[in-house]
Amino acid sequence: MRSSANSKRYLYIGSALLAIVAVFFIIGLIWTPYGINSTDSASKFIAPCAEHLFGTDNLGRDVFSRCLAAARYTLLVSFAGVAVALVIGTITGLLAGYYGGIIDKVIMVLSNSIMCFPGILLALVAVAIFGPSLYNVIWALGLVFAPTFARVYRSSTIELLGRDYILSAKVMKVNPVRIMFVHILPNLMPQILPAVIIGLANMTLFESGMSYLGLGVQPPAASYGKMLADAQSYMVTAPWLIFFPTLMLVCYILGLYFVSEWVRTSVNGGSK
Amino acid sequence: MGNEVRTVFSKICEFVLTALLVSFFTFAAFSIIPGDTARVMLGPDASEAQVQQLRTELGLDRPLAERYGTWLRDAFRGDLGNSLSFGTPVSELISSRLAVTLGMSFIALIIVILVSFPMAAFCSRNPGNITDKTLSTAGHILFAIPPFALSMMLILIFSKVFHIFTAGRYTAPGDNFGAYVVSLLLPSLCIALPKIAMTFKFLRASMIEYSHSDFVRTAKSHGLTDLRIMLRHIIPNSAVSSITVISLVLSDILGGSLIVEQVFNLPGLGRLLLAAISRRDFPLLSGIVLYLAIITVILYFLADIFAAVIDPRIRDRRAA
Repeated sequence: MRSSANSKRYLYIGSALLAIVAVFFIIGLIWTPYGINSTDSASKFIAPCAEHLFGTDNLGRDVFSRCLAAARYTLLVSFAGVAVALVIGTITGLLAGYYGGIIDKVIMVLSNSIMCFPGILLALVAVAIFGPSLYNVIWALGLVFAPTFARVYRSSTIELLGRDYILSAKVMKVNPVRIMFVHILPNLMPQILPAVIIGLANMTLFESGMSYLGLGVQPPAASYGKMLADAQSYMVTAPWLIFFPTLMLVCYILGLYFVSEWVRTSVNGGSK
Repeated sequence: MGNEVRTVFSKICEFVLTALLVSFFTFAAFSIIPGDTARVMLGPDASEAQVQQLRTELGLDRPLAERYGTWLRDAFRGDLGNSLSFGTPVSELISSRLAVTLGMSFIALIIVILVSFPMAAFCSRNPGNITDKTLSTAGHILFAIPPFALSMMLILIFSKVFHIFTAGRYTAPGDNFGAYVVSLLLPSLCIALPKIAMTFKFLRASMIEYSHSDFVRTAKSHGLTDLRIMLRHIIPNSAVSSITVISLVLSDILGGSLIVEQVFNLPGLGRLLLAAISRRDFPLLSGIVLYLAIITVILYFLADIFAAVIDPRIRDRRAA
């Protein structure tokens, strides 16, 4: 009882944090108080005030407007990247878990070798080869995260294989593809959902790192990582330039962690 | 004894196979560059003769399998070719930067272990109390701050508020080893903090599980002190199961150091990597990638062997 109250608190705080990001995202799509790249030499380095809620940067750009606009790329890259990783991970993980044997060996060795590259390195190399663009960042990060999902799918599929309903489906000569996607896949949700939420958070950490290095979302689009990189030289005189973009990233990532914590505990509680 | 030999042998086979695959991926990645590699590297302004010359130099006119064979043989001897933009051998460039990246990763690993074990032991004694909740929440928050943003904040705090750190100051280990370690402390801390959160979370859960186990109850009934039970019974068991997590953390630390170096302006592999990317210096780039990936493969291998050697349960399960 006590632990469920505790995990409810995770849910409330997590959703509140995510709601802040969602509000920024939606407002940013419709309206920003100033143009995101409109420079104004008369209003450089203004500390946060009523007119510029988050202050202005070295070119006189309004940080609040940029924070509103950057939310869309953070959300887009994390969701699209996880979608890519999920598609690859689902197919390979189900195949490896269902068939076992040589297929399993090959898929596991491949995914193990991909996991030997530090994730950020692999994504950076892909972008270096194919050029930095939104789509390259998305598929590169998707590829980097796919083995994690494949592992989760594989081990949970193996656990399900001995269940009676799978055995009877096999006896009735149900098409293996149908068994995998109709009988097994829906029952893997409790394991997959926390992995997806954590994946979104990790994807955001990677994406912001790549943008910080100048290899992620490209200007003129605003991204939190790039804003932080630009702000680095001025952080002593204008600390708000690093404070607000960091705050947005932390809101999103921490919100996801808290919600995943709730999902994890409530799934475990349900099975007891 | 027979089991041990068999486990180690199969681990070695797995290691060799993974290392080969990793090297092949690295090679293949730089062979599937869309369009003409030599043209891409030289840019649109180069003349056709220049492009042709580079193509011969890189061996691009030979078949793929032959090129991989040559490349792998040379790499095995430590010859990764010449960097196009620096004009010096890639292996020399890499080894001149290793002191920063490996030093930072090593210090970060030590910080992770030194902090997360006592923290987890402390919290697992009274799970759910106020200290445990505070530390767990702090762990979540640390985990959510991107390492480069954390670095900036720490630079700001340590250099401007406390005046005890200058960003970008770096002393080579040969000049003054003490100063070298000191100059890497803060960047290592920035890499370590999020990983502390991760290791702590795992260790805490594992220690709580062990403290409910039969052997701990038996130890208690024998009248052993809590401290002794923790040090002799719970921590060694959790340490074994944490080896895998720590080897994963190590790979993350290596990747994280690539970015954090950039914030602190340290001359490590990360800076070299970015230079290679922006100058489209593919021999250098593939050299760095291969180097880091092989280090990771070796670390995973050692962690596996280490876990199997000190924990008979893992050894027997694998061999059975």
